[in-house]
Amino acid sequence: MRRALLFAAIACVLVYSAMGTSLAAEKVTLNVWSSPDNADALHDLATQYTKQNPDVKIQVTPLSWEFLYPKILQDVATGTGAFDVTTWDVMTAGAVAKGMVDLQEFRKAHPEAADPDYDWNDYDKMIWKTWGVWNGVNIGLPFYPASMLFFYRKDYFEDPKIKVKFKAKYGRELTIPKTWEETIQIAEFFTRKYNSDSPTEYGIALMFPRTHTLFYMYPIFFAPYRRSAEGISKFGEVNPDYGDYFTHDGKPAFNTREGVKAINIMKKLMSYAPDPLGSDYGETLEYFSNGTVAMVPQWFGVWASFVASEKLKPIEKTVGVANMPGGHPVSGGWALGLNKASNHKIEAFKFMQFATNKNNDKYKFLKYGLTPARISTTKDPKVQNADARMDVFAEALAKASHRPRIPEEPKLEDVAVNVLSGILMGSIDPEEGLNRIAKEWIKILED
Amino acid sequence: MHSIKEIFKYILLLALVIFFFFPIYWLIITAFKVSSDWFDWPPVFIPTRFTIGNFLGTEGGFQGSLATAISSITPYLSNSIVVALVTALASMLIGSLTAYAISRFKIGGMFFASWIISIRMLPPIAAALPLYVMFSHLNLLNTKLSIILGHLVFTTPFSTWILITFFNDIPRELDEAAYVDGASMIRTFVSVILPLSAPGLAAVASLAFIQSWGEFLLALILTSSAESQTLPIYLGRFITGWRIAWGPLAAAGLVTMVPVMTFSLIMQRYLLRGLTFGAVKY
Amino acid sequence: MQTCYKASAWLMAIPLLVLFLGFTIYPFFYMIGISFTNCNLSAWEVPKWVGLKNYATIFDDLVAAGSVEFTILLVLIAVPLEMLLGLFVAFLIDDVVGESFWRSIVVLPMMIPPVVAGIAWKMLYNFQYGPVNYFLSFFGIHRISWLGDPVMARVGVIIADVWQWTPFVFLVLYSGLQSVPQDLIEAASVDGASRWHTIRYVHLPVIRPLVWVVLIIRLVDVLKLFDIVYMVTFGGPGSATHTISYYIYKVGLSFGWDIGYASALSVLLLIAVVLLTNVLIRVLNVRQLLGL
Repeated sequence: MRRALLFAAIACVLVYSAMGTSLAAEKVTLNVWSSPDNADALHDLATQYTKQNPDVKIQVTPLSWEFLYPKILQDVATGTGAFDVTTWDVMTAGAVAKGMVDLQEFRKAHPEAADPDYDWNDYDKMIWKTWGVWNGVNIGLPFYPASMLFFYRKDYFEDPKIKVKFKAKYGRELTIPKTWEETIQIAEFFTRKYNSDSPTEYGIALMFPRTHTLFYMYPIFFAPYRRSAEGISKFGEVNPDYGDYFTHDGKPAFNTREGVKAINIMKKLMSYAPDPLGSDYGETLEYFSNGTVAMVPQWFGVWASFVASEKLKPIEKTVGVANMPGGHPVSGGWALGLNKASNHKIEAFKFMQFATNKNNDKYKFLKYGLTPARISTTKDPKVQNADARMDVFAEALAKASHRPRIPEEPKLEDVAVNVLSGILMGSIDPEEGLNRIAKEWIKILED
Repeated sequence: MHSIKEIFKYILLLALVIFFFFPIYWLIITAFKVSSDWFDWPPVFIPTRFTIGNFLGTEGGFQGSLATAISSITPYLSNSIVVALVTALASMLIGSLTAYAISRFKIGGMFFASWIISIRMLPPIAAALPLYVMFSHLNLLNTKLSIILGHLVFTTPFSTWILITFFNDIPRELDEAAYVDGASMIRTFVSVILPLSAPGLAAVASLAFIQSWGEFLLALILTSSAESQTLPIYLGRFITGWRIAWGPLAAAGLVTMVPVMTFSLIMQRYLLRGLTFGAVKY
Repeated sequence: MQTCYKASAWLMAIPLLVLFLGFTIYPFFYMIGISFTNCNLSAWEVPKWVGLKNYATIFDDLVAAGSVEFTILLVLIAVPLEMLLGLFVAFLIDDVVGESFWRSIVVLPMMIPPVVAGIAWKMLYNFQYGPVNYFLSFFGIHRISWLGDPVMARVGVIIADVWQWTPFVFLVLYSGLQSVPQDLIEAASVDGASRWHTIRYVHLPVIRPLVWVVLIIRLVDVLKLFDIVYMVTFGGPGSATHTISYYIYKVGLSFGWDIGYASALSVLLLIAVVLLTNVLIRVLNVRQLLGL
């Protein structure tokens, strides 16, 4: 009996795998790697593209950040060519640049592949430079040029009864927080442990896990100091390649009084957040979608999840969007890059143009909530009136702080996240920890 | 007094069984939960509504759910099947040849045998590092062949070892009789030894299959796209910075788990013999 | 005649020899060599000889120290727990009605691919919606941050490892108990020996060699722990749940690409494994087992 079962199983398997190989037709197959937040939109665009061009098959593979980044680096280092097109994170520009095709050169060399209606001047200069260019070379097409935004429960912030209680307790009006100090107070008010009347269990959802997430959370607390008049005079203007972590001449800026202040604010806020050290992107999304918290700093594209949440219906009444307290969110998001090791560069380049052309830039915003990259899209009335995010988007993007995007970024990030996480969980003294990061960073940059 | 002790014993046993079974139960029910039950408090222990949407990619309806649908899992499933199957057959073949040589002719002696054991003990990460560099020079990265070779390094010692214990149980007079009849060594091996050790061959093949199917680290390092990645990697890539889509994740986990678990249960006794270097014969 | 056969016996071993020379011996020496260089995959430069620098760096590396510490904790806590619990369950199930039913449930965890186990535990440990915190709330314990608290994250990884590998210990020892001669047990009970005495003087001597074998296999395997950490905690918070294997992966093949340094770490790990393997070879009594 057992033997018969085994033979049957093996036979099934053989037939199945034989089918698998014979079904692979002789078309061009493009491998597109995507971060999870872009995957649905890219998948949709890929399906449309294949419908128009049946000889090109496109396989969109979503990979989580911690998986995608090492894999791109691996491919860049060894030239394997495992992907043709990938989304690369804005902060990884320097690290991945070596492996990406110079698109302007490519366009000149292959005029037959260029889309005549593409309109290369339709990009805002700042967006083009940040999400498309490294070291003067065009290594990507801006796809999802995002910044973080501050989402809050509009229904609670506007509820007269709640407002009265807040005023009675703190002696001032309940308003959307402009600074992190105000946020601490409001977060306390919305935490049931400190206020049994609170409609939510916790005030704010924070993500300080042991992943790259923590590396972008620190700047939204540090940048308000780094970019204040005092900070500018102390550290100099922000160099966009080195970002807010550094002074204008590439020295660590955070191992200072200001850096310690930022981390102390993070520690204070943690008392009003559900499991901040154990939560990542996905968890904070669920906290907010399920009504567990009243506020959350999150990315532009999470809107689609909030819209789908049963507990946040109707979304126009329940969710408000503002710029980050302290005024300086962090920049992020993605560009589409073409792998130097790809065997199908022409087809890949055509698809990249298709995915970012005027029509589809608008389409991916309206359907999937991804940030518009083109000027024509932001000027479109339908886009402007689409949802509450558009009111603050321009301001947030203009004021956004930056992470370093130099080639040494992966190492800097791993060192920083490790120690920052240690400081937040209380096992390392803030000042000592920040000094330790600075010391190791200097060593990495000198090598 | 006696019966109280008996009852206590069963309660204890029940508690332990719950501990060992609960995570599996949770995975199974989550795979069939509707999206509103994924994040509920108190957690839904006995769901009343079921869906297969988690497998089809229709449940949850937004952000990334199509990415976890069954239709996107199939390339990984077929990679897993090919890799595990080829590993199993190749490690059986290589293992049986060597095992015969060791069992009958004691080639290499203790040194050879100890060497085989130490390969089993080798931490995969220590092998992965140089293998990665080697395969990148050979242009073999991101191919199924690279994982198969990597898996063979770890499964063949097992296979050889177990087959030695099987071959030792076959009376030597049988092959000697064949030699006297003028049969060559290979002929003796194929027509006398192999048929008699069919259960052993099946055992090593299944063991290698199970190991290869669940292996994560080497596959993680050596492969990077759907052309060569196996199911564990398919799961591994959802784990950070992703919407915590528990239903589809659990569904994908179930697809990964069920074949190999069935296999393991059938081959239980050999599994043990392999894992303990034949110290347990069962 | 005999030598002629022996020569062709070596021929039969060729495929294995090729595999092992090519994919273990050569890479092993390659790795030792590269551990004395600054080989870095992301640098695109020819590696330079740096002598013992990589090995010296290990002693200043706090994360390396932390990962060694956690790995030692696993050896000192997880493995003994698995041994004791496995032994206990083996005796318990040996002594109840419906042995095979209980047995087949208890062995399930070891048959699951570790990655899938990781997904299950990640769900169970969830702070806000996870069943573990729900169970604990019955005992008046407020939600525990299983992934965000350094101590609890370590406890969490240990529990997951105990969950997955106790069944292995159990299965080995249980099968050992099956081979205890029934008449010995009966003789002991006729002599009026207590249950404890029977276990101590009848069962344990029979399964003692198996206890050693399974202990060493677990010790070596726990040094390799990677999958569960990758899936459940991602090494965090801080570097609390970095194991040696996980740290080598990070340094060498994901964020660092520092092959030289990662090789130096691997060489040290290998030395520990080789020592343990030697013990195993002695305990297994290889000569007799293989009839050499």
